[in-house]
Amino acid sequence: MIVPFGHVLLVAGIIFALGVFCAVVRRNLIMIVLGIEIMLNAVSIAFVAAALRWNNLEGQTFVLFILAVAATEVSVGLAIIVYAFRRTDSFDPSRFNLLR
Amino acid sequence: MFFHSVLSPQSSVLLLIPATMLPLAAFLVTFIFTRRHPRLCAGLSIGSIAVSLVCSCALMALNFKMTGPIQYSVGLLASSGLDIPFGFLVDRLNLLMIVVVSAVSFLVQVYSLGYMAGDPGFSRYYSFMSFFAWAMINLTLSPTILQLYIFWELVGLSSYLLIGFWYEKFSATQAGKKAFVMTRAGDVAFFIGFLLLFLHTGNLSIVDLNGRAVSAALPPSVLTLSALLIFGGIVGKSAQFPLLTWLPDAMEGPTPVSALLHSATMVAAGVYLFARLFPFFSMSPTAMEVFLAIGTISMLLASTMAIVSRDIKKVWAFSTISQLGFMIMALGSGGYFAGVFHLTTHAGFKSLLFLCSGVFIHRYGTNDVYELGRLGSRRMIVPTVSIIVGAAALSGFPPFSGYFSKEAIMASLAALPNPAWLAAGLAGVFLTAYYSFRLIFILLLPHPARSLGEFGPPQEAAGNPAAGPAAHESHYRVMAWPLIILSAVTVVLGFFGDRLKAFLDAGITVGGTAGGEHFALPSWVPLGLAGAGLVLAWLEFGRRGAKQIGFVERIPPLFRLFAERWYIDRFYGLLVNLVVDRGISYLCYQNDNKVIDASIDELCEGTVEGGRIVAFLQSGMIQYRLLVIFAVMVLLSIYFFFQVI
Repeated sequence: MIVPFGHVLLVAGIIFALGVFCAVVRRNLIMIVLGIEIMLNAVSIAFVAAALRWNNLEGQTFVLFILAVAATEVSVGLAIIVYAFRRTDSFDPSRFNLLR
Repeated sequence: MFFHSVLSPQSSVLLLIPATMLPLAAFLVTFIFTRRHPRLCAGLSIGSIAVSLVCSCALMALNFKMTGPIQYSVGLLASSGLDIPFGFLVDRLNLLMIVVVSAVSFLVQVYSLGYMAGDPGFSRYYSFMSFFAWAMINLTLSPTILQLYIFWELVGLSSYLLIGFWYEKFSATQAGKKAFVMTRAGDVAFFIGFLLLFLHTGNLSIVDLNGRAVSAALPPSVLTLSALLIFGGIVGKSAQFPLLTWLPDAMEGPTPVSALLHSATMVAAGVYLFARLFPFFSMSPTAMEVFLAIGTISMLLASTMAIVSRDIKKVWAFSTISQLGFMIMALGSGGYFAGVFHLTTHAGFKSLLFLCSGVFIHRYGTNDVYELGRLGSRRMIVPTVSIIVGAAALSGFPPFSGYFSKEAIMASLAALPNPAWLAAGLAGVFLTAYYSFRLIFILLLPHPARSLGEFGPPQEAAGNPAAGPAAHESHYRVMAWPLIILSAVTVVLGFFGDRLKAFLDAGITVGGTAGGEHFALPSWVPLGLAGAGLVLAWLEFGRRGAKQIGFVERIPPLFRLFAERWYIDRFYGLLVNLVVDRGISYLCYQNDNKVIDASIDELCEGTVEGGRIVAFLQSGMIQYRLLVIFAVMVLLSIYFFFQVI
């Protein structure tokens, strides 16, 4: 590999951490979904790098699955967000604390 | 012949059971069932005590020549290694006591028919009287110290109930409480004393303790200590120094109660215990010295308090303390017969004095002697004559019974090596005559200008609130008979002294007075001192031109000292205030508030605050939960992939 495997994993890790940060700290429901998307993309990078490292195309196949799942999950998530907004007129997750 | 054939242990039991149990039955029936029928209550109570009296006299007659004590055991308190029989002990001292107790109880109960007539608590009064009679009779017949202690406490309880009989009056309830608590303090010492004995000997039987075998095995220090502690109970019950302040206050109760309990029987229970354990106590000469000292101090203190008292009942109360001091002095100096004889005669003439005072109080509604004198108490013949008889007996004039018993006491005091005791005894004789006749002269020869209190307002009547000058003549007839009977007994009893001495001394193994007498006290010495007291009282109170001011009243500081009862009450009040109220109660209160309540409160507060802190995790914010998930995942991955821990 031109880029050492460790470096790719590090990049994936950093992007994952950024995704976590985005999901946890932002006070907007849509940003939480965005963070999840970033995390999923980071995982995809890791899988592609692994496929190249072990010369096995199954890694890249899994990435396709991840993309499909991400799309589905975003649609469901946005549907929930739309419903939640209709209920409380707000995107702030701290408003949704009835399960306290 | 018939007598001898009947003289068997079984017949004595047959007599003992009704004598001891009937008053209990009377108490239960009158207390529970017949409250609404006062006359029935009185009848039941008097009937039961009459039966007890008859049985006691029969027992005395049957067992007159008994050779040794008879014991019956009707039950056993048994536990591992612990064996205490419950039952009866009959010996010469007991027989005398039960006759005295039941006779005086009977006369007082008959007297109360007149005194307490019309009182709303009439039934309750008679049930308590029966309860007291039961407890007292059983106390005298107890074979073991434990049983005696149980009945000792019951007698104290009945005293409390009867002193606070007119419970709507606050001072009466206070007096009852004070009496009970003070005697209880003495009883704690008593309990520790006999517990000590029990631990060392495993035996509480009185006959065994008096016998040499058991007690000689005790080390002398233990013997002395337990004797002193048991004497603590006697100090409490017989109102000796330092626990003597409850008895004057106990005069809040009805006068027949004072006559029965606080002169003749209950306070005599202490002296009875001393006589009962006399051989045991004699084994410790130090203890006997201490007892002698305490008896002397109480005798002198109380006499001084009686000199300045305005309240007729309180004078006799102080006199009782003083006479009990005499009895303890007699017993402490080894004069067994003298002490017991004085106990018997004192029961007679002191109850007589109280009952006479009761008649005056009932008629005129006041306790103050000056008032009573002014209102013309000398117009009532039977009480007047009886009170003179009683006072003469108290002072020790012949031919009354008090003379013989006082003579016996002086003889036993004279046998002691140290003449100071005898001197104290003689001083006591002088003071006794002085205060008794002071009272007689104020009562019977009133000086018109003195009755309206120069030394404070006349005493409030502690008499029966339902009575008054309008009480019926029939009351006085009923009240007169016991007075006449007691006066007759007082006159006659002295002459039975020798026969009584023979009777009692045969029942006691330890010799009475200590060996030979150091000098034989001529009998005119105490008589002369009594006469001197009488003459002084006459000069100050009885004469035509007498100003009725005693020699003590001319020295105001001394007067204040005696009138304030030597500040013993003040001292106790201070002690209770400092140690109990502001000390122990305060500590307990603070403990309750700041330790017990506060610990629970702080625990709860802490839990709530802790919950509030942890609740942020449950704030409903999903992002925090997400954060926790990520943190856990990272830690787990570090653990698994890098094998750190």
